Parts: sequence; C-alpha cells; structure tokens
Amino acid sequence: MSQRDSLISAIRRNLSEVDNDLMDNALAGRVDRRGFLIHGTRLGLSLPLLGTLAGAMGMAGSRGARADGTSGGTLRVAMTMPAGAIDPVTIADDGGLMVAMQSAEYLCALNPDFTLRPVLATSWSPNTDGSVWTFKLRSGVKFTNGEPMNADAVIASVERLANPKNASNALSAFKGVLSVGASHKVDDLTVEFHLDAPSGNFPYILSSDNYNCYILPANYTGGFEQSFIGTGPFKLEKYIPKVGCSYTRNDSYWGPKALPDRLEFTFYSDMQPQVLALQGGQVDMLAQMPVAAGRAILNNPDFKIVSCKSSAHQQVHMRCDQGSFRDKRVRQALALSINRKALVRGLFQGHADVGNDSPFCPAFPSTDTSIPQRDQDLKKARELLGAAGVSNGFSVTLTTEQFLEIPDYAVLIQSFAKKIGIDIKLHVEDQGAYYGKAVFGQSDWLDSPLGITDYGNRGVPNVFLGAPLVTGGPWNAAHFNNKTYDGLVVDYVKALDLSGQRAVSGKIESLLLDETPIIFGYFYNYLYATSKNVSGLPAVADRPFLDRVSIAKT
Amino acid sequence: MRFAQALAYRLLLAVITLVLLSIIVFAGCQVLPGDVGRAILGPLADARAVAVLNHQLGVDQPLLLQYWHWVSGMVQGNMGMSYTYRAPVGPFIGHALVNSLKLAGVAFVFVVPLGILGGVVAALRLGTWIDRAIVLSGLSATVVPEFVSGIVLIMVFSIWLHVFPLTATAPNSAGGLTQLYYLLMPAIPLFMIIFGYIARMARAGMVEALASDYTRTAVLKGLTYRQVIWRHVLRNALLPTITVVAVQSGYLIGGLVVVETLFNYHGIGGLIFAAAKAKDFPMLAAGILVIGLTYIVANLVADMLYSALNPRISFGRRE
Repeated sequence: MSQRDSLISAIRRNLSEVDNDLMDNALAGRVDRRGFLIHGTRLGLSLPLLGTLAGAMGMAGSRGARADGTSGGTLRVAMTMPAGAIDPVTIADDGGLMVAMQSAEYLCALNPDFTLRPVLATSWSPNTDGSVWTFKLRSGVKFTNGEPMNADAVIASVERLANPKNASNALSAFKGVLSVGASHKVDDLTVEFHLDAPSGNFPYILSSDNYNCYILPANYTGGFEQSFIGTGPFKLEKYIPKVGCSYTRNDSYWGPKALPDRLEFTFYSDMQPQVLALQGGQVDMLAQMPVAAGRAILNNPDFKIVSCKSSAHQQVHMRCDQGSFRDKRVRQALALSINRKALVRGLFQGHADVGNDSPFCPAFPSTDTSIPQRDQDLKKARELLGAAGVSNGFSVTLTTEQFLEIPDYAVLIQSFAKKIGIDIKLHVEDQGAYYGKAVFGQSDWLDSPLGITDYGNRGVPNVFLGAPLVTGGPWNAAHFNNKTYDGLVVDYVKALDLSGQRAVSGKIESLLLDETPIIFGYFYNYLYATSKNVSGLPAVADRPFLDRVSIAKT
Repeated sequence: MRFAQALAYRLLLAVITLVLLSIIVFAGCQVLPGDVGRAILGPLADARAVAVLNHQLGVDQPLLLQYWHWVSGMVQGNMGMSYTYRAPVGPFIGHALVNSLKLAGVAFVFVVPLGILGGVVAALRLGTWIDRAIVLSGLSATVVPEFVSGIVLIMVFSIWLHVFPLTATAPNSAGGLTQLYYLLMPAIPLFMIIFGYIARMARAGMVEALASDYTRTAVLKGLTYRQVIWRHVLRNALLPTITVVAVQSGYLIGGLVVVETLFNYHGIGGLIFAAAKAKDFPMLAAGILVIGLTYIVANLVADMLYSALNPRISFGRRE
C-alpha cells in the first residue's frame, strides 16, 4: 500500500457512510476538486482535512496560500441606499445587508466557489438521513457589547427568524425546513437542529446564503441600528440613515484582524452617480455594478472589475394552465426562438452563463452537465407551433418589472418571438405594481400569462426548485403542476451526497427542458468595480466581505 | 387692521388646502399597488411575516382610523413614524428641508436677479441681436433636461478638470463657504431651467409696459429715461415675473429629484420620491405638506409684493 493509499484509508475509517460516498466519487473521477470541497464542507468536513485528502487523491489545488495583503487605510465604498431600517430580521435589500454584514456574522459563509466556510460555527454534520444537523460553535467569541456568542445566542437568532410571530424575512426559507422549538442546546458550544424533513443542504440555510441569518446576542430585542451589534471584523463608527455609515477595525475580533483601518460607505439612490464617483476618485469601490450601468468603466484599464459567478437569473414564466402556453410544444417553441449566446453578449458583455431552462446553473456542482444545451432553432420552433395548431402564431402580453436589464431582455424576447410568428406585447411596470400583493389573484407577477421575474443568487438550487416550480408553490407564476417533478424535488432535497443529488438533478433538468414552464436564458455574474489600488476583494456573489481588502497607497 | 384680517383669511385657506392635500396623499397611498409590509419585506417574503409587519406598523387598521391617528399626531406636532425607517419622520424632513432650502437658495440668488436683468435688457434692446441672444439661449437652456446638463457638468468640471466636487453634499464639518462651493455646480442645471422662464416673463412684461399709455405720458411730460424705466415701467413690468418666481420656488424646494439623485444630495424631492415608492405614507405626507406650505408661503409673499409694487392691487381688498 502506497503512502497515499494508507493516508486515504486512515482517514476513511473515521468517516461516515455519506462522507465515504463522496470519497468514492472523488476517487472514481466523478467529482472534481471543487465539487469535492463543496460537498465536503456541506458535510462538515474541515477544509484543511479536505485539502489534504484532495491532495492525496491527486486533485490539484487552484491556487496557493493567499497573499496576506497590506493593512491600513480607509476603504471608501459607494453603494445603493438601504431601503429602510437596518433590522436584521426584516432586511430584504442588498443595501441593508451590505451595511449589516460588516459587523454582524453568520454561522458559515459562502465562498466564491459555492462552498461554505466556517465563521461562527467551526463544523457541522448530519445524522444518517439528514434530519438532524449538529453545529459546533467557535469558543471565546464575544459580541461588541461583551455578551458571549454561544448556543443560546445561536438558538435565539435562528428561532427569531423561524417564528411566524415575527416579521421575519427569512420565514419563507425556514418554512417546511425548521420550526420553532426544533433547535436544541447540547452544550454551550453545540446546537442540534431537528428538521421538519431531511435536507442535504441545510447548512446553507444557516449561512450567509439565507442572508437574514445573522447571529445576534440571545437577549437581542431590536434596535440594531443603535450600535450594529455583532461579532464581526468591523464595528460601527457612525450611521446616518439615507446618507452613509462608517466602521473601524474591531481590534478584539476573534479571527485575523481586518486589513483596512476604516470603512466609509456613501449611500446613493441611483447607479449612475456611483459610477461617476468612482471615475472621479471620490470612492475606491462600488459595492455592486450591473453591466448596464457600468459600460463606461467595464473595459477601462484604470479600474478593476471583479466578476463573480452566480446563480442569479431572470425567470421567464409561461402559464401552463391557460392560453396557448398550455401546450408544452408552444412553450418549447418560444424557448427555442431565443439566441442565448446573443443575450450573454448583448446584455452582459460576456459576464454571464447560458441557461438551459432549469435552475441548475453551471456554478452549482450538483448540475448534471451531460444534459444537452438548448440552442436557438427557429425551424424546429416553427414545426412545434405547427404541431400545436398555432402555425399562424398568436398574440400574448409579456408583463414584467422595471428592474436591471429586464426591460431590455423583454424587448429581445419580443424580437426573437416575432421570428416564429408569436406577437408579444410588452407591459413593463414599476416593481411594486408588478409584484402587487404577491398572492395569486392580486399580482401581475403570479397572474400574467407570460412574465419575467428577478431571482437573486443562491448557494444551492433548493429555493429555485421549490416555490417557483412545485405544485401549489407560492411563487409558481407558471402554474406548473407536475407530480413527477414534485417527487424528484423531494428526492433532491433529501439527498445527502453528491452522487445522489446528481442522479436526481439530471432527471429534473431533462423534465424541465421537456416541459419548459420557465425559460432560464442566462445566469449573470455579480460585478464589483474598484480603483486600481484596491486588491484582495473575494469574488463572492451577492455582497462583498471587506476585511481582507488592501488599499495600496498612491 | 385690514392687513391682519386678510392675513388671517389667507392662513385659514392655507390650513384647508393642507388638509385637502393630506387627504389626497392618503387616498393616493391606498391606490398605489402592493402594501407596506410587502414593500418592506419584498415579494418573496412569507405572507405571515408580511401580516405581522403590517400589524406592527398599524397599516392593517381601518383607513379612517389610520388617517385619524395621523391627523391627531400632526395637530400635536408629531409627524408620525416612517414605515420604512421605523423612526420619527420629523428629523428626516428637517434635514431634507434644510438641504433643499440651501440648494434652492443658491439657485434662487443667481437666477432671479440675472433672469430679470436678462429680460429687462432684452426688452430694452428689443429686436437687436442682444435680445435674440438672450431669448434664444434662455429657451435652449430650458429644454436641456437636468440629467443631461448635470452629467455633462460632472464629466467636465469634476472628472476632467477637477474644479468642483462630484457631489452636492459637503463633508459634515464644512463651513458656509465650503457648502456654497459644493452647491454651485448642482445649482447650474436649475439655473439653466429657470432662467429662460423668468427672462421671458420679464421681457414680455417690459415690452407691454414700454408700449403703454402711461409710459408715453411719462416720456412726454419730460421725465428722464432712467426715471421712466425705474418709476413707471419696471414696477408694472415685473408683476407677472413675480408669479413665475413664486411658482418656481415650489419646484426648487420639492421638484429636484433628478438633480438630487445625480449629485447625491439629500433633499425633499428625493425623500418624497423614495417614500412614494415604498408606500411610506407618514414620510410622503409630511414631505408633500412641506412643499404645499412652500407654495402657499411663496404665493403669499408674491401677493404682498404685488400690492407693494402696484398700490391699485391691495392685499387686503377682496373682490
């Protein structure tokens, strides 16, 4: 037995059945290094251990140890104004989350490659069927008010969000997953979560991916805005609603101390002035920059663009229960009329991946990449329309929201559809009007025959697979009703290991490609723009963590 | 005595106007699609959480009751709590109003005298190239939208030449002169939009007054040119201009959403715009009432100026 083999088998003896399945996949070459690390961290194997294993199995590391960076300086950031009060329980907008996440922390956080890294939890593991997850907490961590971060704080923070009596924005994420009273303290630094139903991706619900899930003191009852209480690498210096806020380094932080001395955020109500502010040297960084707003600096060598792969997308739903779209051949035809590569080029200057009409984007390791990619095929589209008895085409209204590139996307769909004889009328409205009351019967989003809806980045496809697609799902604008699909999603959610998930994901992808209730045209990247003297920004979609950022003196 | 009576009468009218305005705003908020809790939590939040939030904010109460709570608060000087910021509205409105007054003030100080001067000069040089230049440039400047002139100004003076700051918001500790420096560039688009109006009104008034019988009489009875213009022409010619200025002052306080956005300035216009999008009624109502009040005050001042300039129009006299 070689040294490599003995190392692997020594480790394997201490692993569970599920963990060993991952190892089998890795050894058989069915999982690459990234997928191996992702599933390993989800199962609570520590990254150093996984790194050792991956190394022993001959999986090359993608990069060496990260350069340490230089400490000091103030990082000036332009960002979109938080939409309202900074209340961790209710925040639903990027601005508010960006402000809160500098001082408050999660149990675990999303890495650029969709793995989870331990933050306030040091490890986590499931029982055999994934119905109970045990989280080990970091010891010796204190909140900025001196309170200890322990099992009580974690349970209180999670229950606060899972409780329907609170105005919790995370309630929809916890629904059917974790109920009030199902979080148990094992000891001061160990918490057990007893799930409503087995879930292989549960750690993502307690991570930055479920963005309200900040860990706050056990006795927290509100008033976050007063002090931005947390355990994070920065502490609040000053917050002025609607204007901006600043932070200083938290010198008693439990981990490596933040590199910047200070952070200075300026709030803007629009993107254009932010880009101008970066161009004029008034800020060092834009916390987020849609391609459409950033064309002026996208290819300008004076600025750096960090482009992060994400699963964010715009869903084009077609109502499967009424009108011409009741026939799946008509839905397939519209999907076939679209030139996706042109969308990626035209709308995103390449900062996006082509979608294959399922939520399984290239960034998810559980995506089955063997399913053939749907491309533009006008001839086949016309044939399908003919077979469905609408060879002369038909008229339909596409209703959507004024948000990001969506109005442009709608115009492109309109022109693609025209080529196969579908006459689309556009109805683009304000976001409030589009979503309406967000319940069936009182929402253009959920009632329109054809519509486009924005979905942000998620670390795992569970949310996308559920509410927008399962029968009776609260966001099922396509009114898709398919028992086989519903069953597959249950299987996917409870699958603990990668091979189990992949076995199901392929079936889901094929089924959705055939049924096409929703067109997933692309998955766009998140962009951060900085001046040249800023480095070390992690390419994590959603919102950037700023403690490892260096500012070179100019 | 007559003046005091007239003033009281106008104040009564003002109160009625404001009450009507608040009812319209409240009704408008109900017509806007979606509800408050949904606007805060977003479309994907669970309906139970939305219901809880609506209950916490009190927007699930009967409409009349909500309005009554708000009115009784206002009467006691309490503008209410913002739904979105869950904090008292007063300080938000206060800061925004101070900011708006500063920016409007800077624009006003330049545009009113220069606009009147432009109009007067154009009328006195009627038909010459000076007249045409003033009228044409005023008109052309008026049709350039703020977002065009603003971006061009920023590109040229901030990014290229580095003469003016990119924003209208001066650092916290800035003194009066520094604040003025920050406000100069944002005031230019406003100047461009309003200059043409004022100059044309002043010109039209002047032209009419110059052609009138009393001016001919004044000239014929042997007054000097200067006396004719100052004593007879100007005070008659400027009456319509005052009305225009009064109307524009309301716009300058509350209508500057674009300029405020572009120069990242926190004034009443942007505040109202954001509040309307979020269905934040207490914030929206307070902001709109402030603008309503501005219009009322501006018109009151205009009427008083009217009677001062033309004794035939008495402020106190009713038709």
